[in-house]
Amino acid sequence: MTDQQLTTRAKVERSMTRRRRAEMRFRAYGVMSIAFGLLCLVVLFSNILGQGLSTFRQTVLEVNLHIDGDALGISRQSSEAEISAADYETLLKNFMREKAGATSRDDRRLAGTLVSVGAPWQIRDAVLANTDVIGDHLRLEIIMDDDVDQWYKHDRDIGQPGRLKDNQIKWLESWIADGSLHTRFNTTFFVNGDSREPELAGIRGAIAGSLLTMLVTFLLSFPIGVAAAIYLEEFAPRNRMTEIVEININNLAAVPSITFGLLGLAIFIGLFGVARSTPLVGGLVLTLMTLPTIIISGRAAIKAVPPSIREAALGLGASRMQMVFHHVLPLALPGMLTGTIIGMAQALGETAPLLMVGMIAFVVDVPNFISDPATVLPVQIFLWSDSPERAFTERTSGAIIVLLAFLIVMNTAAVWLRRRLERRW
Amino acid sequence: MEMNFSQHISGQFNTDLEAIRSHMMAMGGLVERQVANAIEAITSGDTSPADEIIRREDDVDRMEVAIDRECTQILVRRQPAASDLRMVLAVSRVVRDLERIGDEAQKIAFHALEIGGSANSGFCQQAIRYMGAEVCKMISGALDAFARHDVDGAIDVVRHDKLVDQQYSAALRELITYMMEDPRSIGQAINILWILRAIERIGDHARNISEQVIYVVSGADVRHSSLTEMEERAHPDNAAED
Amino acid sequence: MPIIKDHKTDGLPFSDSPKLKARNVNVFYGEKQAIYDVSLDIGANEVIALIGPSGCGKSTFLRCLNRMNDTIEICRVDGQILLDDDDIYGSKVDVVPLRARVGMVFQKPNPFPKSIFDNVAYGPRIHGLVEHRDELHEIVENSLKRAGLWNEVKDRLHAPGTGLSGGQQQRLCIARTIAVDPEVILMDEPCSALDPIATAKIEELIDELRENYTIAIVTHSMQQAARVSQRTAYFHMGQLIEVNPTDLVFTTPQHSLTEAYITGRFG
Repeated sequence: MTDQQLTTRAKVERSMTRRRRAEMRFRAYGVMSIAFGLLCLVVLFSNILGQGLSTFRQTVLEVNLHIDGDALGISRQSSEAEISAADYETLLKNFMREKAGATSRDDRRLAGTLVSVGAPWQIRDAVLANTDVIGDHLRLEIIMDDDVDQWYKHDRDIGQPGRLKDNQIKWLESWIADGSLHTRFNTTFFVNGDSREPELAGIRGAIAGSLLTMLVTFLLSFPIGVAAAIYLEEFAPRNRMTEIVEININNLAAVPSITFGLLGLAIFIGLFGVARSTPLVGGLVLTLMTLPTIIISGRAAIKAVPPSIREAALGLGASRMQMVFHHVLPLALPGMLTGTIIGMAQALGETAPLLMVGMIAFVVDVPNFISDPATVLPVQIFLWSDSPERAFTERTSGAIIVLLAFLIVMNTAAVWLRRRLERRW
Repeated sequence: MEMNFSQHISGQFNTDLEAIRSHMMAMGGLVERQVANAIEAITSGDTSPADEIIRREDDVDRMEVAIDRECTQILVRRQPAASDLRMVLAVSRVVRDLERIGDEAQKIAFHALEIGGSANSGFCQQAIRYMGAEVCKMISGALDAFARHDVDGAIDVVRHDKLVDQQYSAALRELITYMMEDPRSIGQAINILWILRAIERIGDHARNISEQVIYVVSGADVRHSSLTEMEERAHPDNAAED
Repeated sequence: MPIIKDHKTDGLPFSDSPKLKARNVNVFYGEKQAIYDVSLDIGANEVIALIGPSGCGKSTFLRCLNRMNDTIEICRVDGQILLDDDDIYGSKVDVVPLRARVGMVFQKPNPFPKSIFDNVAYGPRIHGLVEHRDELHEIVENSLKRAGLWNEVKDRLHAPGTGLSGGQQQRLCIARTIAVDPEVILMDEPCSALDPIATAKIEELIDELRENYTIAIVTHSMQQAARVSQRTAYFHMGQLIEVNPTDLVFTTPQHSLTEAYITGRFG
């Protein structure tokens, strides 16, 4: 008897070592996979941040410009239209030639290309904002051309000329020395719409487009999704018909998103004649894409409400609707909202279906309403990543950083909302 | 589902119930021997078994206490219901009756010692022998009926008790006649009277045991009821099968 | 197939003053039959205990009495159940007022995740029993008092009901049920999740409630059935085997199946 007990214990002991080893191994696998994931994340972030953070700085030239009213043909009493129409470009070119001290024909041209093509508008806007400067001096930080920007931010440190000529570098170096050429926070990136010129291109249009699209998506998909989830879970009779609907919803969640784009193109634009390239049609398409996610997560949230609560309500003589609206829905709402926000976050990052409904168009103006032509952040990223200019590569990463920031904010909101709503009980 | 209901789910419960039953039977066997020996001592005039009877009465008392404790244990631990509850209650009651029978046997033994060798004086010898044999049969009959759940056997015992009662009355009349004939025999006669009385009581206790058999089997409490009533209630139309 | 062919319930399934009458009730879950031809009266102001092994149909039968089985789609009920001689399965009967008349207390204490006050006030509110807030307050107070909970919660009526102990939660559920002033209270193993002290309090409460209500209680505890009920009904594999006064069932059951179950020979 004792012998047998001993051997049993010995067996257990032996198997324990084996078990412990297996557990250690399993834990090691887990740690490894998480480490791998973290590594990927770090690589991704460092890559994007490394490339994109410089987007948020912009090279400018601080100038003290004499606004010669006579040369421009305007006075302080001139109308807005007259002031707008004045030739600031020549003014700026002349100023730059003087500042660079360029005399030769080539040098004069080179000096003129140092500043952004948007710089004259900058002067115009400043003059329009304050007509008192006409005939006087205007202190202004002029946006430099993207080649200068790139040279200043990247090539100068490693002694490369970038795309600049020797003369230009000479001038720039002297301006750096006297402190007039420096970088500042890149507000242009946030207040401008898209542009062919990288130094003038911004994401405000894309952000506005994304927000409007999300608004449409949310306003449509949340009520429809929640209503559908409640109906399917609480009211629908269990028959072949609802089964088919259920299977279809589950399948829709797995449909490639570009298919929804095609559907949107055919139905919303082709059949109902909704305007292309607008947040409205984009929102409609994204609604189609988000609905399955919201319905499925909504149903899961409803299912998670303990049946005992339903029974309690029914047992007291609550009608089905009272039961749903008084008890089930309040308990399921946090889950539904989380599902919705996750669906929205997914929609926010979606590109493919929007390409199909024309939201890939080059839109300079910032959209103000859901029927204005617009693009969205991910599409903007896609567009920029396709551009040859080096400065656009930088902006692509910058826009990605902004998009990621939005997603993080949304997910945090989801977590916060869930906590807050749940904490009530 | 298993449809064999002879066993409890709890094996220990079975064992416990079986234990009180068999302990009760053992006690019954002992008590029965005590009575037989006491009658033997009286009728044979050989007083030697009497001491033995008085000594063993302690065993009977101890058994009663022990079995009663076992019954309490079952009540507390198992909260028996229905037939199990009736069994435990009945065992507890039967044990008390057995103990009383033991007391009566002891009394007979005392009287046997008192009468001493003069037992063959002849008073009611016939009646004592006859009634003694009868109550011994009743005790064993009642215990058998209990063991076999035999309602008819139990009713038979009750019927015998009637006979014993009749014989007791007859013996009393006989005894009175003796006493009136010869007042000097009154001392002796009173001893005999007590013995007759003890035997009659033993019969009554045996009857009580039989009544418990009916209680266990059919659930009818037939104490203090007439024989016909008893027969009726022991066999209701749909008596519980067991 | 029923386990016993042509079975007729032993004992006294009918009552002289019935509140609820079930006649030849058969219940099916899809193809499977759960209840076979059960006829049983539940007398006014009596506590009837329904006992039997798991899956014997006692809960199913109880749930027929206020049509809680309606929530299970595949469940079909045959036969008649009369509440004061009105067929509750009649075509014109609305389950909502029915459930106000026949309340139910469940196995697991299931207070709503609302305040204690709102829990009790919910029934009166949805049924429109009160006009003013004062009236509502009175109903809540009376119900809590009758459920023996008032003294324990009167200072925290607006604390969540889910914060109470298990026994208190169950008494809250009973208070919630009696707040709509039902005629019959069905209890589905109301003490199975509670400790002995809480159980004793609920049992005491059941005894007090008997004065005003008719109570049917399903229980797995035979001792509980013995303690609280006047009559006990034994179900076996969907059949009603025996109904008798409780003391009789627990000392001398009529049917061998009842005997075998309550003596612990199966189940």
